[in-house]
Amino acid sequence: MQVSIKWLKDYIDFTESAGELAEKLTRAGVPVENVIRADKGLDKVVTGRVDEIIPHPDSDHMFICTMNVGDGKPLTIVTGAQNVRQGDIVPVALVGADLPCGKKIAKSKLRGVASAGMLCSADEIKIDTTSLPDEQINGIYILEAGTPVGIPVAQVLGLDDAVLEFELTANRADCFSVIGIVREIAALTSNQPRWPVIKVREDNGAKAADMIKIAIDDPDLCSRFSARVLNDVKIGPSPAWMRTRLEGAGVRSINNVVDVTNFVMIELGQPMHAYDYDEIVGQSLTARRAKAGEELHTLDDSSRLAKGGELVIADAVKAAGLAGVMGGLETEITGKTTRVVLEAASFFGPSIRRTSRSIGLHSEASGRFERGIDVEHTIRALDRAAQLLQDMGACTVAQGGIDVYPAPKPQPVVPFTAEQINKRLGTDIPAEEILRILASLGIEVRDLGSGNYEAISPTWRKDILFMEDLSEEIARIHGYDNIRATLPKGGVMLARQSDEQDLIDKITEVLVAQGMLETRSFSFQHPDMCDKLNIPDDSVLRTMIPIMNPLSEDYPNVRTCILTTLFETVLRNFSRKNEDVRVFEIGPVFFPKALPVTELPDQKMKVAGLISGRRYPQNWTDSNEMVDFYDAKGVVESLLEAIGIRDCSVEAGEHFCLHPGKTAIFKKGREVIATVGEVHPQVMENLGTKKKMYMFVLSDIKTILKYCGRRAKFTQLPRYPAVERDLALTVADDVQAGVISRTIKKQGGKYLQSVNLFDLYMGKQLGEGKKSLAFSLKFRAADRTLTDEEVDVAFNSIVEAVAKSCGAELRK
Amino acid sequence: MEEKIAQLSQEAAELIKTKAKTMPELNDIRVRFLGKKGEITGMLKSLGQLAPEERPKLGQVVNQVRARLEEMIAVKAAGLKAEELKQKLASEKIDVTLPGRPLWTGHFHPLTLTLNRVKSIFMDMGFTIEDGPEVESDYYNFEALNLPKDHPARDMQDSFYITEDILMRTQTSPVQARTMEAHEPNSPIRMIAPGRVYRRDDYDATHSPMFTQVEGLVIDEDITFADLKGTLELFLHKIFSDNVGVRFRPSFFPFTEPSAEVDISCVMCHGKGCRVCKGTGWLEILGAGMVHTHVLEMSGYDPGKVSGFAFGMGVERIAMLSYGIDDLRLFYDNDVRFLSQF
Repeated sequence: MQVSIKWLKDYIDFTESAGELAEKLTRAGVPVENVIRADKGLDKVVTGRVDEIIPHPDSDHMFICTMNVGDGKPLTIVTGAQNVRQGDIVPVALVGADLPCGKKIAKSKLRGVASAGMLCSADEIKIDTTSLPDEQINGIYILEAGTPVGIPVAQVLGLDDAVLEFELTANRADCFSVIGIVREIAALTSNQPRWPVIKVREDNGAKAADMIKIAIDDPDLCSRFSARVLNDVKIGPSPAWMRTRLEGAGVRSINNVVDVTNFVMIELGQPMHAYDYDEIVGQSLTARRAKAGEELHTLDDSSRLAKGGELVIADAVKAAGLAGVMGGLETEITGKTTRVVLEAASFFGPSIRRTSRSIGLHSEASGRFERGIDVEHTIRALDRAAQLLQDMGACTVAQGGIDVYPAPKPQPVVPFTAEQINKRLGTDIPAEEILRILASLGIEVRDLGSGNYEAISPTWRKDILFMEDLSEEIARIHGYDNIRATLPKGGVMLARQSDEQDLIDKITEVLVAQGMLETRSFSFQHPDMCDKLNIPDDSVLRTMIPIMNPLSEDYPNVRTCILTTLFETVLRNFSRKNEDVRVFEIGPVFFPKALPVTELPDQKMKVAGLISGRRYPQNWTDSNEMVDFYDAKGVVESLLEAIGIRDCSVEAGEHFCLHPGKTAIFKKGREVIATVGEVHPQVMENLGTKKKMYMFVLSDIKTILKYCGRRAKFTQLPRYPAVERDLALTVADDVQAGVISRTIKKQGGKYLQSVNLFDLYMGKQLGEGKKSLAFSLKFRAADRTLTDEEVDVAFNSIVEAVAKSCGAELRK
Repeated sequence: MEEKIAQLSQEAAELIKTKAKTMPELNDIRVRFLGKKGEITGMLKSLGQLAPEERPKLGQVVNQVRARLEEMIAVKAAGLKAEELKQKLASEKIDVTLPGRPLWTGHFHPLTLTLNRVKSIFMDMGFTIEDGPEVESDYYNFEALNLPKDHPARDMQDSFYITEDILMRTQTSPVQARTMEAHEPNSPIRMIAPGRVYRRDDYDATHSPMFTQVEGLVIDEDITFADLKGTLELFLHKIFSDNVGVRFRPSFFPFTEPSAEVDISCVMCHGKGCRVCKGTGWLEILGAGMVHTHVLEMSGYDPGKVSGFAFGMGVERIAMLSYGIDDLRLFYDNDVRFLSQF
């Protein structure tokens, strides 16, 4: 919706500038997005008379003009224009002018003569040149003789106007009209509006009702259908004043009949349609649902097939237009039209919305119907249009209007008290002020006594149904700024978040402390990524929820596997030469309960990380090694310890995107807590990278939470010294360190406190297929210093056990 | 004899003073004069050969000389030690301007940092943190928020649909209805619900198909629009600064009445007008309002007994203003050079 200040001033006085008015309206909930000044750049352009003009002594084409610009100080201006004569009145850009064409005017010298300004051409001050004679286009724009001298040129050209561009909210259907905006200005300024006086002179000929039959077949979609018939129509251009008003509103002028329907729509908010009476078959118009497959020949000269159910206006044989969206081609107003049927109806918004969306056509009219129009306006709109055309001498008006209005509804009544409104707002606005504000908005209020009132919801406001709605009217006109700021009363409430969220926060902290970067990705994925990551065909991760209307081909599905986006992150970094990457993501994945989806999917929060590149930032010391499996595993171990998951069993395992020989699985019982490993060379190839990557992925947060230690329990610090023994073993190289370590712990007895692998050696000295592992064992009793004998017993039993179960020999 | 003592004393003193450059040299001098077989020690031993009446006097002299030399040696030793330490320290000097041995520094995502600040401010005010599903039913996302099908306000949010009735939530507001339903009817609520939301917007510097919102809801007896103003002013002062200007403008959301858009004075130009605030001096930062009667009723609350306010904000917007980030896409691009800045 846009409207010019001059149009508004036709109906109400105000002293605010366009900018001030825009600010006031915006602060009252009628947001003005833009103020477009028609005189932009014409601030220092005034009318001036050429008092004297002499040829420039040093130029064969320039002239020196002495200009009278009304202030008694003649200006010398040099011009190159050839069409200027003494006595002409022309636009003069003074020094400092910043013209709409982009020229900035400064004092200058032209061939030695000082010039203090510029005479302007039409183009330089952005006058529409389409209807100007050539001379006016090519040279200086000569104003009418007798134009006063020294006044702003914008005033002379009628450009001292501005257009307000509104960005209205969906609830304010009433503000899609000049009178709606005027009503708001009246409430904000307390000035009285001057509503248009509507009078029609009907002729004595045939009655409209005898000329055409109007019917509503589907009153749920069309609650009112009113019409008038115009005779002796002379199609032609509209008068200039109407064209200017329409132009300010952003509407192109077509012809007098179409312009008038547009003018009335913008003025009163009632969309209208004009039919060529003689093209209506059977002289009847019916509002009804379209039949499926029914052909619609619309104004844009395209043939559409109705889906069925759209509201159409039909004559005796065919649909003559999509109601409220687009008229029909056959009944269109043409230069030959002599009789016109004007339609003003009230159509059901949601239905218009569906139709206009399905054919992708939004118009000024459909937008107004979608938001809801004032059903009481149809007759006024018809009369207004007839009046305007009659005043232009473009028609006569057939007797009587036609009004089909099967079920008028009473307006809702909203009971309220001043106390209720103040209680909602936290204000102390007196009842009189509340009543004044409501009256200024045209809301009728009945006093029921003892402080009880009822407001009658105005026909133009669909959004006033409850006391709460009235409170908004009061608040916005009273001013949001005038409401104080307080804090909620009420009891103390305990701030908390879920255990899941606590765990997510903790994991994030721990991984950040491990030198990792937290990432965030979209919850979408592409099936290609599943292929690249070797996700098996029968994996649940392949059961993805498709999005009906994806933004692009890139992300057709909802994410099931957090690794898809994590790998994308890493690849993106690689492609930018960011080769040291240590990233993790905690994010949701979604699993449908069934496909096609019938209910909400399972949503799980997953944690995964990926590291690649150097173990430490590049540096001058000798530690420039690359990360390996054990770096990733170390991250997982520290993380699990930090969140209180101890004593996981760790074993070699498998994961679709990991190297089968370099994959470890952390388990609690049968539950997999974490998987860590080196990315499978096949996956690397699929992803087109040669860089080794190490990845870990945790079970979902809910599962992890089950195994997290709640609160640490204090253990007394030891009072007696520990006895340390080193155990160096030689075993076959396929014996896992974890198995030996578990055996030691199992066999170590109650004094064995810790087992720590401190050396791994494989070398010729040991012989083919052997390796040596050295463990540091710590024995301790809580109540005394252990004797060597006691430790020997435990130690020997360990040696025996590892020999038996792992084939380990003590290394000599 | 006395003469010899004097001579030895002088010689020793001279040697200590001039010849002892190191501890071993000093020690040699000590041994030569004061050692078991040293010359001064020898003098003491030879006292026995003197006449008894001479012994005490000469004994005293020798002892005095010995004491004096011992003291000289001690002083010299201290000096030499200090000198040696000084030289040792000088020889151990390293280039302290070489960089330290580096470790990787981890970083929280800037949205997490921002969310944590938002959460902490509201938790200080007694708000709980709530959560809801991101794939949501049309009912919770729209209908329970007073947005029936075909409502024109649905145009404000273009949605990703899964089915006719299931979609990627377009706002965190559905958590409002879910939280109310999980509560005893009419029991007080103070909560915020941070989370990811999805809209079918083109991906550009200011739009993203997924972004982050924080929803807020307060319900109790006698909650007023003034309380909404006070709570949000306090929040905005805490998250930006105490001097930031805050203004409330009437607006429209189907689930609140009255509704407000909340602006802050531009944090870039301090209200003078710049590119970021499009010359207005103000930045839109929050949407808010008093919870609509329908919304309370649909979730089992009695609008006659309790009232409430709700608000919603975009976390990216707050992060962009806080850190001066000019392109929303950076948040989901995950370039390590970006992530390492926060």
